[in-house]
Amino acid sequence: MEFPQNFKLLKAARLVDGYGGPVRERAAILLKSGRIQQVGTEETVSVPEGATVEEMDYGDRTIIPGLIDCHVHLIGIGDGRAGEELTALPDEVLTVQAAQNARTHLYSGVTTVRDCGAKNRTTFLLREAVKMGITPAPTLILSGRPVAIVGGHLSYFGTHPTGPVECRAAVRQLVKEGADFIKITATGGSTKTSFPLRPSFSIEELAAICDETHKFGKHTAAHCASSQGIVNALDAGVDTIIHCRHKESDGTNIYRPEIAERIAERGVFVNPTMNISRVSVELLETKQEEYGLTQSEQSQLDGLRADHEFILDSFARMRDAGVVMVCGSDSAWGGYKMGNFQGEVEEAVVGGMSPMESIIAATKDSARSCWADGVIGTLEPGKQADLLIVDGDPTRDIKDLRNVVDVVQNGTVVDRNNYL
Amino acid sequence: MPAMDDYKLIKSARLIDARGGSPRENWMMLIKGSTIEAIGPADEVSAPEAACVEVLDFPGKTLMPGMIDCHTHHNGIGDGRLGDELVTLPDEILTLQSAKNARASLFSGVTTIRENGPKNMTMFRLRDAINQGLETGPRMVLCGRPVAIVGGHMGYFGSEVTGSVECRAMTRQLIKEGADYIKIVATGGSTRTSFPMRPSFNLDELSAVTEEARKFGKLTATHCASSNGIENSLKANVDMIIHCVYRDADGSNNFRQDLAERIGNQEKFINPTLHVLRAGVWALQHKSDLLGGLTRQDQEMMDEGLRNLETRMEDCRKMIEMGLKVITGSDSSWEDYQLGNTVYETELLVQAGFTPMQGVLSVTSEAAKSLGIDDVVGTLEVGKEADFIVVDGDPSRDINDLWNILEVFKAGKRIDRGSERSQASVRQQSPAKEN
Repeated sequence: MEFPQNFKLLKAARLVDGYGGPVRERAAILLKSGRIQQVGTEETVSVPEGATVEEMDYGDRTIIPGLIDCHVHLIGIGDGRAGEELTALPDEVLTVQAAQNARTHLYSGVTTVRDCGAKNRTTFLLREAVKMGITPAPTLILSGRPVAIVGGHLSYFGTHPTGPVECRAAVRQLVKEGADFIKITATGGSTKTSFPLRPSFSIEELAAICDETHKFGKHTAAHCASSQGIVNALDAGVDTIIHCRHKESDGTNIYRPEIAERIAERGVFVNPTMNISRVSVELLETKQEEYGLTQSEQSQLDGLRADHEFILDSFARMRDAGVVMVCGSDSAWGGYKMGNFQGEVEEAVVGGMSPMESIIAATKDSARSCWADGVIGTLEPGKQADLLIVDGDPTRDIKDLRNVVDVVQNGTVVDRNNYL
Repeated sequence: MPAMDDYKLIKSARLIDARGGSPRENWMMLIKGSTIEAIGPADEVSAPEAACVEVLDFPGKTLMPGMIDCHTHHNGIGDGRLGDELVTLPDEILTLQSAKNARASLFSGVTTIRENGPKNMTMFRLRDAINQGLETGPRMVLCGRPVAIVGGHMGYFGSEVTGSVECRAMTRQLIKEGADYIKIVATGGSTRTSFPMRPSFNLDELSAVTEEARKFGKLTATHCASSNGIENSLKANVDMIIHCVYRDADGSNNFRQDLAERIGNQEKFINPTLHVLRAGVWALQHKSDLLGGLTRQDQEMMDEGLRNLETRMEDCRKMIEMGLKVITGSDSSWEDYQLGNTVYETELLVQAGFTPMQGVLSVTSEAAKSLGIDDVVGTLEVGKEADFIVVDGDPSRDINDLWNILEVFKAGKRIDRGSERSQASVRQQSPAKEN
């Protein structure tokens, strides 16, 4: 039996604390009762006399903070099926899938996820099951159901108010059920009855949602597939802009510098979800290689490629404007399976971040965007002991983020081959 | 891409085909896809020339059919809580628990289960998830929900009916939802509002369920915590008597030779569920070890549990002597008995008089017969599904070797059972000082 009050001393050649400073060499980190006690070098970290210490020497490896994926859909299957089809599955089946995804993500190195939309009570009940010890999962930051307009994107998950009064009621209902933040769909999206190039809620409604959410000390994140949605979300006081697509209502890609300036000025976070668009491109490319494409599929592929280039370009320009970009995968939406958050982090490097910057976007800044940076995101005394040990040095080659050796969650090494 | 008809050639020191004979030495089994293609002496079994064959050699080990547990409760947590309490959990959580239990069970070598009572649609949903490739688990023979009287044992799972018409309607409803057999609660049980010493349904109601089930080619099984229920079940032509407790309406133990003979004459199957009693006793012993003693109430409960276990073991011994068809069915994860520990039940059947080989048959071929699936699984024979396990030791000599599972294959596919540490965590330990 393992006693969590005992000390754990982890040593490794390198440690990335998440603050962006130089990598610590010959590092040591002391954990106690699921928290970080000391961070330093082999010489500076000391254990109180007489304490029992479990020591783990990871040799020529790197310790980094546990990854934080600020955008997941735990109930997703990631086999390309549409949300309409997914939501037709019974809640019990979706909960089973959510448990599988949670486990997969944890074992891949993600110690916290923010779920940006699930059906009915599925994710809340998953969290209950995790508390009961039925199934393992990363720390869960949950929205429950997204708040959508009638017929709006993700409205099929069960919450679609109209008018500021119903919007406030929806927020209160979600908070009552256990929501940690409120996800809003400020424009349409892939949902067939929605309009991705148009805003959904009025500013009055959006503002009601934000005001009510902030009243409870919780934050909001808004899906924005086009520019007017971003403008409205900013007007209403949203805390994270998801996707943040600079797209006009006629579908043209036009980068709007004044929007980026406002985002930066307000300190709003942007979760650009870039890898999911790469995955969509790659799915069609695979199909092209194997079976060939129809004419409409070919033009779809051309459009997706152009969009992806534009998304990468906007990413760089928003960063130049001073916007804080955070990593959130959007898996298992569409064709993007869970357990591959690293794909999004790598895409941030493709978009111009240094490996170190992308690690921060996937840890410290992701935690900040989830309003959880008081507890997680960096390796420093007092924080929750969520960390990874990876082979190699991800600050030199971001691909090393995939070489996970151990996942430590709350001070305990996760058995990543436990399938029970 | 692997060819559709990929072959596996399995070698081992010993092979128990579970058809009743002695273990075969130096036999081999050829698997094609999900089914057994050939089985026999090593020099007679070979894959077709030019076929893609994977050869798996297990020197010194025993090959036998995957275990079949004819009595499970996948919703259960096995931490001692009553069904009345369990059922208050939301269906989604019970489905997750069921999924975990399904994996634990499969990893322990059980490749087929018959579920004896979950809530609402939970097990149908889990099976859907498995069939869609979202989860993994053993083959499932499901009842959906047990058919109970109003306030009767397990009525809380959602299928309470009154009168023969409602009984027929419920049987049809369950079959429509996907039930493979019908579980009926013929007496009360642990459910607080039920009366274990008394019968539940009237004979016309019971007969309505069995007739209706039979019409669709489905089997029936009844929970019988007292003799009246056994008698009614025999009259209603139920296929399996569960628990089979010989107890009069006043609660006194009274082995009914006459009923046992009728069970034999009607060729009914019996699932005695012995270890679930012992698990309750063990839980109290663990508690005693931890706390250095028991309260008077707990002590009385333990004494009663031990007395009941003794009586039930004795009755089981008599039924085995009479040659009745006694089957392994664990009743886990009911109360203190967790799934993944089916072997404890078989072990008690051996203690009650089975030879180890009979114990093996009771958890493989005989169990398959009792579930009406012996054309698909239960033995290692040509044409059967390749559900098998590799065991260290020889369970036909020592039944406890069934704990030493090295590999599990379901439908010809090797199951990845995860780390040894996680597998070991499934086994419930006996107390330091076993009574």
